[in-house]
Amino acid sequence: MQPVTRLTVPALRGISLEVEPGEVLAAVGANGAGKSTLLRILTTLLIPTRGGARVCGFDVAREPAKVRLQIGYHTGGDACFYSRLTARENLLLFGGLNNISDAEASRRIAELTEPFGLGELLDRQVRTLSTGNIHRLGLARAMLHRPSVLLLDEPTRSLDPLAAAEFRRFLLEDIVRVHGTTLIFASHTLAEVEQLAGRIAVMDNGRLLGCDTLAGLKSAAGAATLEESLAVLTSRASREAQ
Amino acid sequence: MSRSTQFALTLRKLALLFLRDLAVARSYRSAFIIEIFQALFGSATFYFLSRFVSSPALDKSLPPGTNYFSFALVGVAFFDYLSVALSTFDASLQEARQNGTLEHLLVTQTSLPVILAGSSLYPFVLMSLSTAIYFGWGAVLFGFPLRQANWLGALLVLGASVLAFSGLGILSASYLLIFKRGNPVNWAILGLSTVVGGMMYPVSVLPVWLQYVARLIPVTYSLEGMRAAILGHASTLELLPSIGALLLFAVILLPISFAIFSWALRRTKITGTLTHF
Repeated sequence: MQPVTRLTVPALRGISLEVEPGEVLAAVGANGAGKSTLLRILTTLLIPTRGGARVCGFDVAREPAKVRLQIGYHTGGDACFYSRLTARENLLLFGGLNNISDAEASRRIAELTEPFGLGELLDRQVRTLSTGNIHRLGLARAMLHRPSVLLLDEPTRSLDPLAAAEFRRFLLEDIVRVHGTTLIFASHTLAEVEQLAGRIAVMDNGRLLGCDTLAGLKSAAGAATLEESLAVLTSRASREAQ
Repeated sequence: MSRSTQFALTLRKLALLFLRDLAVARSYRSAFIIEIFQALFGSATFYFLSRFVSSPALDKSLPPGTNYFSFALVGVAFFDYLSVALSTFDASLQEARQNGTLEHLLVTQTSLPVILAGSSLYPFVLMSLSTAIYFGWGAVLFGFPLRQANWLGALLVLGASVLAFSGLGILSASYLLIFKRGNPVNWAILGLSTVVGGMMYPVSVLPVWLQYVARLIPVTYSLEGMRAAILGHASTLELLPSIGALLLFAVILLPISFAIFSWALRRTKITGTLTHF
């Protein structure tokens, strides 16, 4: 995948990886490494200028509507809803835009209410919700149409430590283990990556430096921690580039 | 999915987006009341202006059976449809960028053109309501002639106008997609239409060469058709030249504007600037 233009620098170069159904993959790396670009290509928000990507067998550039049917997408930002509408109105709107009937969307909202802890929040305007609750709502929106793949960009960015821990528990236990959803997320929080990811893709300057289990990465880097592994792999890559 | 199912789903999405905007608007309760009084002040201004400028020479240059008040009121009210068409696609794009919903709208099963079309419905409906209030005040207080209007004809002219103006609005949104700020498309169309479109004065008072220019923009036909339907009591058959001209603009502008918009959208998806503002 290579989303480049003549006007800007290449955001991704020569990345090749495959994620199995039900797997949890984390993309880690410094700012500008290309993590968000990778996710945005998979969501069809970006079109790669060279190479390609497939989600559940559908090409992101040629079959974007089919890809979007397979994915749920949530970012860590909290300004991603219509703040003057209630949580329920927002969910019904996005459900409708995903071709879900009102009756089906209401059923799904009822199903998601308990695991997402949305009960009392549903009929409140979004502007009155806390950041943590907006995150839950964002995840509920991403899951409303039962996607096979969940793409999260820095999902706990603006959560306090307790809310982040609860959010991670929820992701792992309810979304991945119970529903079998494939999870691909980008994060700067290494503890989160260690807790959630089955495999970790280490990125730097648009390149994939390694993609393996935590143990595999540590072994490849000869390091004791994920943090050390990242440092070793990154400095090794920059030495090779010189 | 069959075409009829797709069509039904698209209509439902348009309705959902309209209802979204209606719900947001309802949460700001004072806005509608302000709109009612703003229309009163607007009508009153045109009425007193018309009394000030009224003269036999002016009346002679206006279409038969009209006075300057009704001429200007129709002109301003329907010119605003052009303003709405030019600004609504830009505004909905900007708003979605700024409130962070654009990415989340774009990963749904709804295309950006449908999102923009749905987001433009509420402004057009609000504009129609505002026009009705303008006319209502004008009729109740200042003798605006409502009773003999050809409302069916006016609706047909309005529908054709909205289609023609929307082509210009989509062109304007295409510019915004690429360049983010400042919009010479919007500025040029509105500026030219204000000068030569016949909003405040008849096109016949313009120099001959500008009258030719006026024939090249849709608002001229829209205002002529509207005035003929509402003030001139023209039959629907008599309105066909105006409606036909507007539809011709729509047939030319809509495919071109959609093609340019698609190109602009693809380009911003390649450059990664779709959600930038």
